[in-house]
Formats: sequence, structure tokens, C-alpha cells
Amino acid sequence: MAVLLNNYYLQVATFVGVNALLGLSVYLVLSTGQLTLGNAGFMALGAYTAALLATKAGAPVWITLPAAALVPAIVAIPLGYASLRLRGVYLAIATLGFTETVRVLFQNWEFAGGALGIKNIPSLGRMVQNGLKAAGITPPAGLSHAQLANLVVMLFVLLVLGLALAFVYRQAAGRVGRAYAAIRIDEIAAEAMGINITYYKVLAFVQGAVLAGLAGGLVAHINFSVSPAEFAFSRAVEMLTLVVVGGSTTPLGPVLGAALLIGLSEGLRDFSLFGARLSDYRLILYGFLLMVVVALRPQGLLTFAPRRKGARA
Amino acid sequence: MLLQQILNGITQGGTYALVALGYTLIFGVLEIINMAHGELFMIGAMVGWALVTLFGWSLVPALLGGMVGAALLGVVLEFTALRPLRRQGGTNLSPLISTIGLGMVVQNLMVRATNGQPLSFRVPLSEGVIRLGPLQMTTAQLVVLSVSIFLMVALQWTLSRTRLGRAVRAVSENPETAALLGVNVSAVILATVMLAAALGGAAGVLVGLSFVSVSATMGLPYGLKGLAVIILGGLGNVKGAVAGGLIIGVLEALTVAYGGAGYKDAVAFGFLFLMLLLRPQGLFGISAAAVRRS
Repeated sequence: MAVLLNNYYLQVATFVGVNALLGLSVYLVLSTGQLTLGNAGFMALGAYTAALLATKAGAPVWITLPAAALVPAIVAIPLGYASLRLRGVYLAIATLGFTETVRVLFQNWEFAGGALGIKNIPSLGRMVQNGLKAAGITPPAGLSHAQLANLVVMLFVLLVLGLALAFVYRQAAGRVGRAYAAIRIDEIAAEAMGINITYYKVLAFVQGAVLAGLAGGLVAHINFSVSPAEFAFSRAVEMLTLVVVGGSTTPLGPVLGAALLIGLSEGLRDFSLFGARLSDYRLILYGFLLMVVVALRPQGLLTFAPRRKGARA
Repeated sequence: MLLQQILNGITQGGTYALVALGYTLIFGVLEIINMAHGELFMIGAMVGWALVTLFGWSLVPALLGGMVGAALLGVVLEFTALRPLRRQGGTNLSPLISTIGLGMVVQNLMVRATNGQPLSFRVPLSEGVIRLGPLQMTTAQLVVLSVSIFLMVALQWTLSRTRLGRAVRAVSENPETAALLGVNVSAVILATVMLAAALGGAAGVLVGLSFVSVSATMGLPYGLKGLAVIILGGLGNVKGAVAGGLIIGVLEALTVAYGGAGYKDAVAFGFLFLMLLLRPQGLFGISAAAVRRS
């Protein structure tokens, strides 16, 4: 038990959970047929919101995390209305522009630490650990306090992920989900059926921003530091990779993608090639996977239902 | 002072325009965005660096070598990331994703090969300065500007006057009809991708020349700025790409000159963002309705 729950495994599992949330945020937008590269920007907004509230105002986690979800949502509403008139490659480039602009703004904002970012954000693990000690709880079965705290953090992240998944599944079965699917399959037909496509596209965009922001807030509290460089183009691409590889037609796709890709790159850590650790080749591997999956299995590894003729993500 | 900044901006903008022309050529023919274009640019710069530094070639052959190197990578791009998807026939978002993938592979292989360090790129002509009244220009700037202009004119000539150019325009208008009229569409697409890559490679060598260094990560910022430029100028529009490049170059130079150096990288996208909201067809593009139809 104590061996299985070592701190490294717990951290990897936590990391998978956060990345699955990020993947899910891209999935939501993709489920209306729109490709966004802007969720890295929303993640940055969430991470900085949580970090600033916690370090400058001393706000507790139950304020910083909801705020991390709320601020990106507020930004996403006007942004969505403005940019979702654009489609396909135009939208992808515009949202990429948003991500880059957010990064440059944070980089130049001295109050938020400029290029170095914010350090010493209260960490979730430490908070839980202190809480446990204060409550006089001794960890069972030979676990250390740190292990128990990491376990709690992991369970918390997985709980958030579970709630998000439950929400996405319930939504998919209802009016909103059917509207998303209709827009994805044929926008013009959906509009002709009386679906307010702008409303639903913006809704999906905002939902994506909420999840990305929340994941950003979690990352800030788990890594106890944030910096603008974390939210660059490569982050947007990594988020997209999770969904493309895992599967873009079912909410479990991004979860599988996160587990697979994080698992793979962590698993490669112990091996080396040409004097470099194999995990240093992670991005090369991601790139290959993107190319291979798009060419051979365009809907990702995990697909939902038998593929209908003419329906495509 | 203002004139000097504008001149600097135009020189920089010339390289942006070259990068943007590569995007716009491919978009014009295939209606896709080649997200690996920044890496073609970087490979051109790297090949140019290797020819000058390791083999002692002079600038012009090195520039041509960089273009050939990038064009060869363009062939790889066509056969690995573009052609397989064409056969399968998806949306134009699939090639966007697969070219991102190829770009990641190329960039990170180069990062490994160079240990992530920038390489110093010295050509004999780097030192001189030319004065023109109150204005001054380094020889390197002059070379960059004149080569950029030469390549733009050469491209315009190729597209409008040669057999290849006519085939490219035919395929861009309608691939099926072009094929019926005896144009080898696959060959034209391959040639277009190579041409676009060569322009990107040339821009890479020129940028390496003006910054006296090359690195494995130099492609990304130029790739992103090129994207901003083509949207600004109108996707698939050659004149628009040139004008957009010059506008972004000058705006950046002015931003840096008037105290906003830190915001330099936000200029292109900030401007692009406004543009997309106000006029998604770009400065010289066709109407929004036509964009939607395409």
C-alpha cells in the first residue's frame, strides 16, 4: 500500500487529472466543430488569478479556485461572441493570437512578476498536510504525512475531473449536447432547424474556458509557481495533442489521451538514447503521434459509437 | 529618427513578407495553413549557417543552399503530413494538426542536435554601414532588403509569366478542372510546397544574417508572425502578404522605438486580432461571404 502510493506515482496521477481537465476543455469546444488554440490563454488567466489572489490578497483556496474558473469565463464571453464568427483555420489562428497576447501581457506585467512569474503560491499538498497535523490525524498503514496529503490532493483533482466528466456526459444527453452535435455535423442545417448556433458556440467556448481556467488554478496551487513561459504555443499544442490522440468524439478521449501521453513520457524517464533521457524526446514523440493519428485514425484512439457515414468531427 | 525607424521596420518587414508568402502560396493552392512553415524557415537558416560556417561558402551560394534545404524538407512535408490527408479527404483542420506535428518533430530534433544553444552566424559583410543623408543602414540590412525584394519580384514573375505559375494559378482556382485540362495536380502541389518552403528557407538565412545568430527555436516566432501577416493581408493573397509584412514590420519598429520593447511580440497578434474582428477577409482579401463559401 505505502509502496504503491509513493509520492511520485501520486504526483503523476494528479498531473494526469489536471491534463485530462485541459483536454476536456479543448474537447468541449471541438464538440461544436470548432478548433481552439486559445485555452492555453484561459489556463494562464486562471493560473494567474489564483496565484495573485493567494499571494497578494492572501485568499484561501475555496476562493482562488472558483475565481480561477470565473475570470476566464468573463473574458471568454465577449471574446467568443467576437471570434466565433470566424471558422476553421481563422478561428484557430485568432485563438492562437489570444494565447500569445495573454502570454506577452503577463510577461510585461511587473506586478505579476514579469517574465519570472509568481513564486511561493500556497501549495495544496502543504495545506492538506498542515490541516491533517492540526486535526491530529495520523496517517494509517505506514503512510507518511506527505503521502497522505498527496493522496488527498490527487483524489481532489480526480474528483474535480469526475464532476466535470459527469457534467459533460449529462449535458451531451440533453438539449445542449444535441445542439452541439448538430452544429458539429452541419452548421447550416443546424441553423435551419432553429438552433441558435452563435449562442451554443459561445456556450461551448465559455465552458472550455472555465475548465481550462480551473485547471490553471489547480496547476498554480500544485506547482506553487506560475510563469508566462508555461502558457505559450507549445502548451496549446500539448492540450490539442491529448484530445487528437485520445479521441475527439467522446469525453473519455481526452482522459485516455492524458493518461497515455503523460504515462508514456513519465515511463520514458528511466531510459536514455544518444546520451539524452528518452523523456527529452517527448515532444518529438507527441509530434509523431499527431501526424500518425491524424492520418490513420482521424477521430482519435477512442471513438464513440459506430461511425456514421458522412459524419465527421 | 522616425524615418530611420520606418526604414528598420521595412527591412524587418521584408523578412516577414517572405515568410508570409510561403503560407499564402500553400493556402492559395491547398486551402490549408502549413503550421510547419516556421520550421522550414529554421531549417533554411540552419543549412545556410552550416554552409557558411562549416564549409566556408559565401553568402549567395549559402542562401541558395538554405533554400534547397528547406525545399527538401518541403518534400518531406508534402509526403508525410499533407498528401496522406488529401487522399482521406477530411476538413482543412486535419492538415493544420498534422503540420503542427511535423513542426514539433523537426524543431525538437534540431533542439537536440544543437543542445538548444544559439549558433553564431558570421558573414564577412556584417560590419559595414551605409549612410544616406540622415539615414543609415548596415550592409547586412541592405542585403536583406534587396534579396527580399528580389525574391518577391521573382515570385510574382514566376506566378504570372511562367508555365509553372499558370499551372499553380489553375490548380488554385479549381483543381478538378485543372486536372481535366491536363495539369498534373499532384506535381503542381509538390512544386508549390517546395517553392513556399524555399521562400521560407531564404527568409531564415536572411534573418540569421541580420541577427548574426541562428537557433533551433528561431522558427516559432517568425512562423507565428507570418500567420498574423497573412490574415492581415488576406489568405491566399500575394500582394496582401507583402503589404501585411511591411505593416507589421514598421508597427513593431515603432513600438520598440517608442518604449514598448516588451510588447513587440504582441503587436502582430494584437493587430491581427482587431483585424479578424473588423475585417476577417484581410486588407486585400475577398469578401467575408466568399471566405465562408470557400
